[in-house]
Amino acid sequence: MTETVHLKKLDLSSPNILPKSYIAIRHPRMKKVLKIQATICMAAREYLNSLGFIELLPPIIGPVTDPGIRGAKQVTFDFYGREYKVMSSAILYKQMAMASLDKIYFFSPNIRLEPLDSAKTGRHLVEFVQIDIEQAYANYFDAMEIAEGLLTYVVKKVLKEHEEDLKDLGRELKVPRRPFKKLTHREAVDILRSHGIKASYEHEIPWEAEKELSFMFEDPFFIYDYPRGARGFYDREDPKRPGILRDFDMLYPEGYGEAVSGAEREYRAEKVIERMRATGENPAKYGWYIEMLKYGIPPSAGFGIGVERLTRYICGLKAVWEARPYPKVAGIYSP
Amino acid sequence: MPFRLLRGGCPYCDLCCTCEIARKAVYGRDALYPFLPSKEFGDVQAGGEIFFEGYTRFYNLDHVVLLPCLFLPDRLSKSVELGREPLFIDVDTETTLGGFKVKVPLVVAAMGSTDVANKRGLVLSEGSAKAGIIQVIGENVINMRGYDKRISSQPCLKERILKYLENVDSDYGGVLIQQNVEDANAELWNKVYSDKDLDEYIERGLIGFEIKAGQGAKPGLDGEVKVNRELALKLKNKFFFPDDPEKVKKELYERHSVPGTFTKEILKDMIKLAKNNYPRVKLWLKLGPYADLDEIIGVASKAGIDCITIDGSEGGTGMSPIAAMRELGYPTLVCLKKITDAKSRGIKTSMIIAGRLFEGGHLVKSLCLGADGVAMGRPFIIASEGRFGPANKPVKKLGNQVDGVVNFVEAIKVEAQMLASALGKYSLEDLSKGNVGALEKVVADMFNIQYVYE
Repeated sequence: MTETVHLKKLDLSSPNILPKSYIAIRHPRMKKVLKIQATICMAAREYLNSLGFIELLPPIIGPVTDPGIRGAKQVTFDFYGREYKVMSSAILYKQMAMASLDKIYFFSPNIRLEPLDSAKTGRHLVEFVQIDIEQAYANYFDAMEIAEGLLTYVVKKVLKEHEEDLKDLGRELKVPRRPFKKLTHREAVDILRSHGIKASYEHEIPWEAEKELSFMFEDPFFIYDYPRGARGFYDREDPKRPGILRDFDMLYPEGYGEAVSGAEREYRAEKVIERMRATGENPAKYGWYIEMLKYGIPPSAGFGIGVERLTRYICGLKAVWEARPYPKVAGIYSP
Repeated sequence: MPFRLLRGGCPYCDLCCTCEIARKAVYGRDALYPFLPSKEFGDVQAGGEIFFEGYTRFYNLDHVVLLPCLFLPDRLSKSVELGREPLFIDVDTETTLGGFKVKVPLVVAAMGSTDVANKRGLVLSEGSAKAGIIQVIGENVINMRGYDKRISSQPCLKERILKYLENVDSDYGGVLIQQNVEDANAELWNKVYSDKDLDEYIERGLIGFEIKAGQGAKPGLDGEVKVNRELALKLKNKFFFPDDPEKVKKELYERHSVPGTFTKEILKDMIKLAKNNYPRVKLWLKLGPYADLDEIIGVASKAGIDCITIDGSEGGTGMSPIAAMRELGYPTLVCLKKITDAKSRGIKTSMIIAGRLFEGGHLVKSLCLGADGVAMGRPFIIASEGRFGPANKPVKKLGNQVDGVVNFVEAIKVEAQMLASALGKYSLEDLSKGNVGALEKVVADMFNIQYVYE
């Protein structure tokens, strides 16, 4: 009995709870979130399977991983005398899978040792899972269509099965209205500027500005055509519009921010090698990947949607670590 | 003891420590005069040196002189402000450089993993921090010396960074961490950016990153050092070794970094990515004396770089082929001209000049011609010896080598203050082209400054 009283006083959105996730996990609120999360995962699989996507087992380690992650450090370890990485995203392997199956997805566990300031955003985890989707011969509008369909399906399913739980969580969730609004990066910057918020056509939208933008919308929306420079080497540059990438983000409304990142993929070795230099690395580091591109893979498009952020949005949670049973946040030592 | 004035500087420095730099390191501001403290004063007379130590192949800052005037309205204004006659000590040398607040616009140029620099790494860090100037830590330290644990007997990278940061005074200065291709392979910047011990300093704005894209002594070749067999075996997969340490037995092995491939687009991507990934640090760019400097400066400043350092072909090195030092690239003076031009094109980015510059006169003249600061490498190595006279028979040796660095900066600062005050300028920021003239017609035309014999 004392424990229940104690539990009810707990603020699950406080970072102080992180080192005591063994207490947080027994909170009635957390139990509801975890059940909803299970429904989210099930619904996502249902939706993707219905479209003919095949679920593949995700890679966990490899000689290289995605370097295009904002300032986050990779986990490097010794693999029988050679350096190996824990996946920061499975993007390179999604492209590899395109040589076999046309439509695939992973439930991909990723580790990103995020910079310490990410602990304050309430939306960054060091360990998380993303549903990582890829389709051969698709373009980025096809990928946006799938992302939109997926989110809508999942929300409907949760509303149907967890009406009471959502009420208990104090969440008023609506089915998003389709089609989602699509802004080019340039249009998004213009909107921000018209509200007196600093943003540049040439650069990514800063976290804070993105959050502000997200507050301006009632439904999820897309930003597409990001400028070349700040994204991974695998986001394809538009051949007719140099400097513009055929990629997109989907943002949740109400200040929840980034939901999805996706793009058409670059699949030609010479373009990839040029783009890889943005990180300053030697392309030789990505040996197998370059060899694979030279061997040939089909063009594709896809995206990743973080399960914890999706749960956070659906449940209306203050911090993303409320959407994971044993959350790890930058710089905080926790179980 | 007689000492060597370095007109043109030494091509090879074996740290004999008999030159004006070593003297400044040991005696500080007292070394600004041609006699040693007290003893010789009263018995010797002096006048300016009028000889070159041999002819230089190309024009340098010695072909530029400062032009003091008697009529100085600026001095009158300063006098009104102070309510007394101004002195050289009234010259303000503080400024901001590439996003950092500094006591003097002088930078310890990137020194990397090479023995001669790295073994003095901690002295240089402590000295430059105490002097309130910026230090750049050069390439390859992470792979050659370790990130946070020593992998040789010498300091590792984090020791060098922390030694600087722990000695910072009132948030003057900053430490830049250079990254080349091999450093990027080792994820250097990501490591620094997510390092719990460094986060406080990132928040205070004391850390920056520098893209390594060349240097004066070997533009287009990048880092070269010699390493022992043990280290060569460890580094075999990360660098190029002409002699495979597993097959060839030698005492020392040549180790090469790659220069890295750049195009306009690649540099732009690199800057934009780094600005996006590391928004809490300043981003600098280090260049060699490239023929396309105009274009590079344009691209980099448009992409949002915070500071550009250009190292002329006279620039120093721990190791570089003689042919590269002799043949590759523009002399420092031409690089300075590129800075002058960029400024006149309206480019606001901070720009630093380097390459055989070692005294207050060089600093003042560079600032007159448009640079925002001067970077020095080898002079700081000499200064960090803290000794005047040969190693076996020094005239004087400091108890703490750190003082050598601090004294040297102090001497340069006072020298700059004296020269600037003679021009009637009481802030180094006010120095301008009108304060210099050229001893050669070519140099006068190049900078559009007075040819003094005309």
